[in-house]
Amino acid sequence: MEATNPWYKSAVATAIVGAVFSVIILTLIVLNYVQAKIPEPKREIELENLKIEIQDQPDDEQLLLWIRELDLQSVSDPNRAEELETLKIEIRAGPDDEQLLSRIRQLDLQVKQDEIRRLDLQFRQDKIRRRDFSRKGSYLLLGSVVVLLIGVKLADAFRKKTPSPQLRGAEPYEQVREAMRARWAVTAGLAILGAGVLFLITGPRIDFTQADAASTSYPSTEQINKNWPCFRGPGGLGISANTNVPTNWNGKTGEGILWKTKVPLSGFGSPVIWGDRVFLSGGDKNKLQVYCLDALSGRLLWTGDVAVPPRGDEELDVMEDTGFAAPTMVTDGRRVYAIFVTGDVGCFDFGGKKVWTRNLGIPDSAYGYASSLAMYRNLLLIQYDQGLAEDQMSKLIALDGFSGQTVWETKRPVSNSWSSPIVTKIGSQFQLLTCSDPWVIAYDPAKGTELWRAKCLAGDIAPSLIYANGLVFAIEPYSKLIAVRPDGRGDVTETHIAWSLDEGAPDICSPVSDGELIFLLTTEGLLMCYKVADGTKLWEKELEEYFFASPSLAGDKLYLLTEEGVMLIVQAGPEYKELARCELGEECRASPAFADGRIYIRGLENLYCIEKKQRSEIRSQIICSLSSVRDTDKD
Amino acid sequence: MIRFGHIIFGVAFLLSLCTAVSASERFPPPEFESGYEQPSPTTPHPRQDIYEYIDAAVLLAGLSLSSYLVLRNRSRRAIFILMVFSLLYFGFWRKGCVCPIGAIQNIVLSVFDRDYVVPIVVGVFFVLPLVFTLFFGRVFCAGVCPLGAMQDLVLLRPVPVPRWAESGLRLFAYVYLGAAVLFAATGSAFVICRYDPFVSFFRLSGNLNVLILGACFLVVGVFIGRPYCRFVCPYGVILRQMSRLSKWRVTIAPDECVQCRLCEDSCPFGAIKEPTTDWPVHEYDRSKKRLAFLILLLPVLMLLGGWMGSGVRMVTARMHETVRLAERVYLEDEGKVEGTTDASLAFRATGKEVKELYEEASNIRAEFGLGGWFFGGFVGLVIGLKLIGLSVRRQRKDYEADRASCVACGRCFEYCPKEHARLKKAKEMIGKS
Repeated sequence: MEATNPWYKSAVATAIVGAVFSVIILTLIVLNYVQAKIPEPKREIELENLKIEIQDQPDDEQLLLWIRELDLQSVSDPNRAEELETLKIEIRAGPDDEQLLSRIRQLDLQVKQDEIRRLDLQFRQDKIRRRDFSRKGSYLLLGSVVVLLIGVKLADAFRKKTPSPQLRGAEPYEQVREAMRARWAVTAGLAILGAGVLFLITGPRIDFTQADAASTSYPSTEQINKNWPCFRGPGGLGISANTNVPTNWNGKTGEGILWKTKVPLSGFGSPVIWGDRVFLSGGDKNKLQVYCLDALSGRLLWTGDVAVPPRGDEELDVMEDTGFAAPTMVTDGRRVYAIFVTGDVGCFDFGGKKVWTRNLGIPDSAYGYASSLAMYRNLLLIQYDQGLAEDQMSKLIALDGFSGQTVWETKRPVSNSWSSPIVTKIGSQFQLLTCSDPWVIAYDPAKGTELWRAKCLAGDIAPSLIYANGLVFAIEPYSKLIAVRPDGRGDVTETHIAWSLDEGAPDICSPVSDGELIFLLTTEGLLMCYKVADGTKLWEKELEEYFFASPSLAGDKLYLLTEEGVMLIVQAGPEYKELARCELGEECRASPAFADGRIYIRGLENLYCIEKKQRSEIRSQIICSLSSVRDTDKD
Repeated sequence: MIRFGHIIFGVAFLLSLCTAVSASERFPPPEFESGYEQPSPTTPHPRQDIYEYIDAAVLLAGLSLSSYLVLRNRSRRAIFILMVFSLLYFGFWRKGCVCPIGAIQNIVLSVFDRDYVVPIVVGVFFVLPLVFTLFFGRVFCAGVCPLGAMQDLVLLRPVPVPRWAESGLRLFAYVYLGAAVLFAATGSAFVICRYDPFVSFFRLSGNLNVLILGACFLVVGVFIGRPYCRFVCPYGVILRQMSRLSKWRVTIAPDECVQCRLCEDSCPFGAIKEPTTDWPVHEYDRSKKRLAFLILLLPVLMLLGGWMGSGVRMVTARMHETVRLAERVYLEDEGKVEGTTDASLAFRATGKEVKELYEEASNIRAEFGLGGWFFGGFVGLVIGLKLIGLSVRRQRKDYEADRASCVACGRCFEYCPKEHARLKKAKEMIGKS
């Protein structure tokens, strides 16, 4: 029997103590780590809500309600609680006392700030406490592992076995076999390495040379045409590439309505569509926001805050008819861009991450800024018309879509306007077309250099230009329709105006054309049809409705959205023929957006997705069949 | 004299500017309403140079002592104590940096990048262990390397690794060395430092993945002696080759081996080689043909390796941040990924042309293509030589510590009866004197 050192048991006991202690410490460290990684949504939401709340300015009624219902026990600062208690009593006597209300407002802000600080402090303290715990635990773990190792090593040393090599016969082949096995092992290593490398070689790769050739930092024309990326769709022409759009729905009964989603903040900008996402903006005096909705379900995927409008001395007087979010957004399929009445521009990626924001300065616009954004390749184009022509404040700005930095900026000799710029390919060149009092001006969208200009407009220009059948059409409100040939250079006023009509024109709605005919719609409901080629009037029809949304064309049908939310569908032909009237049940100002089999209409409060009946039914059938399959599986 | 005056004035003016700059805040501090007082800023002092020279001196002393203990004193206990000291000093005190293993990358980068200058201490840390190995074998691994020490300490129940498996697994260290050199040469990354599995323990904090990797090495190290040193360590690869050429080296017996076989299983690192037996005659003929074939195969393996190393440049080049950025920007531009990264946003904010970035990335890929030929060729060479080495018959009459594999830990000394006799004799000598 082997003699055992008397210290052997002590060594083993030491090792066991070390091991148990190590396991306990390690478990606690891991638990601490896991707990630190688990988010605390309740507290985070509370903090986020407070941060949002602090940006809002409550009105007097809200303040009175707040102080009435305030639980003074919840106020952490005793001095502040005392002050609030006094105010609570005083305000009962004089609820309209402006001075008292002002003090309450200040205290409300301070209480919220205190609460944010308290929560923030809790976060920090928790984090520091956990780090401290982890650090101390690491030292303890190290110590306990050392104890464990000492115990085990000593136990080993106390019970060391004397080596007793086994007798071995002569094995001449053993070393040969061993060498062979080793060669196979090396060969296997070589094979594994080779297979791994071949796998990597044949994997997906990115060829930058092809990227250079394709210049793919912006969507292709095909991609743009498949979507509705800006105000009035591709090229700003108001023409849907999809002809299978609905012609029958009823917002009151829900017939043909795929979904209806309340938009958190109002705005008169139209929705824009890219793939399965719908974007629109909204704002009020406290917030300027961008919304992304799922095109299929209408679920609000994310909300992006752009900036808080200026307060105090800089308080912005915004007309109710314009609102904070009149301009329509634009998207390049990678990011979305929005501009607001305050001159704040925001860019978000499709995941809702804010990429950049800029403030261009509050524009001096008589009715509030309303020009929609346009996009050329990676350039975000902003028609920033303001003041009078002689003020020389108007300009055209191109921002880099990725960074928000100014790529070029061009002064414009025009006064404030509400029309939107359009980018269209004319011949082999893209032109950025703009109109304002008194000029129609075309620019090179890449550089901002002027191509041509025609002096033909006057007044408050709101209708945007369109390009059809080789002519650019501009509208002077209440007055003229002008057709300009866009192939000139310099001032083409005397040389390139193809024709002009002084028979009255829309003041807000932009025209639409199928290339043969051009349709004009006035706010008071007069629909007019002219020949594109020479301006011959074919017909006019008094619709006896009010219109703010511009007309759109899908196939051979004109879509005219009244202020009351009724869509008049009219034959786009040489004779007036009404095809359908579809009621939405909500007032509308924004122009509709078109997609494959769908129309998106923004009401004053809700966004509607209208889907062609047949498609809706097929979808319902699919959903029903999927549900029944699931039920069967459950059974 | 006038010129001298101008210089003095210029320097004084610049110094006065520095004073003004250092006295002003870059951003004005916020004014707190709560009465909170801003603490005055403190700047941590950089580590003084003298400590770096102390580190180098400690390394030199450690290597000298290790050499003495391994070759003259032949004391496992003393080597163990030195090992613990090195672990505490170079590991927990100096937080595992600077170390000779990572210094490989600094040296390589300094060769390929003219703008990069290797600090003297890093150079010393790289060279000293190599010099000592050239004379005394792997004495650095024995008692000075903190990574080796850590693994040595946790080795509790050694399990022998079959020789064939060891031969296969050891290839990884060569591939790792080649990759580390490639990435350092292209200025992409110091992968040895990034994936140092034990540095997180030394610093008691670090990346979770690396911490888990280190824990895995330690758990495996309880049963398999020094797994990182044997199968991963890129510096070990160099030390192995140096050790083959060493002037003096560890011997199991202090003088003549009596072939008692008592030391046979004493080495947990499989570094003791038993005497060879004669091969059967027909095996000689086969081995000659095999050897000839493998010698012819060597250039083929090198070419194949080079081709593969170059071919995989699209993947290896991703270690370079510029290539990663370019690919990210490309995918964003193509609309193949959603969202942006901080890096891509920062790039776009610079206003730099995307084409320029692509060109830069393409150039880096080309560098990786060229480097890949050398890297792959090196791996092919290693595998070819390994196969050749395994086909050559070695002749050994005694139990010997393998020159390359032996980390000079001294475990085998006490198993040798001749060593016991030597110690007894030494004690008697001391007693007599």
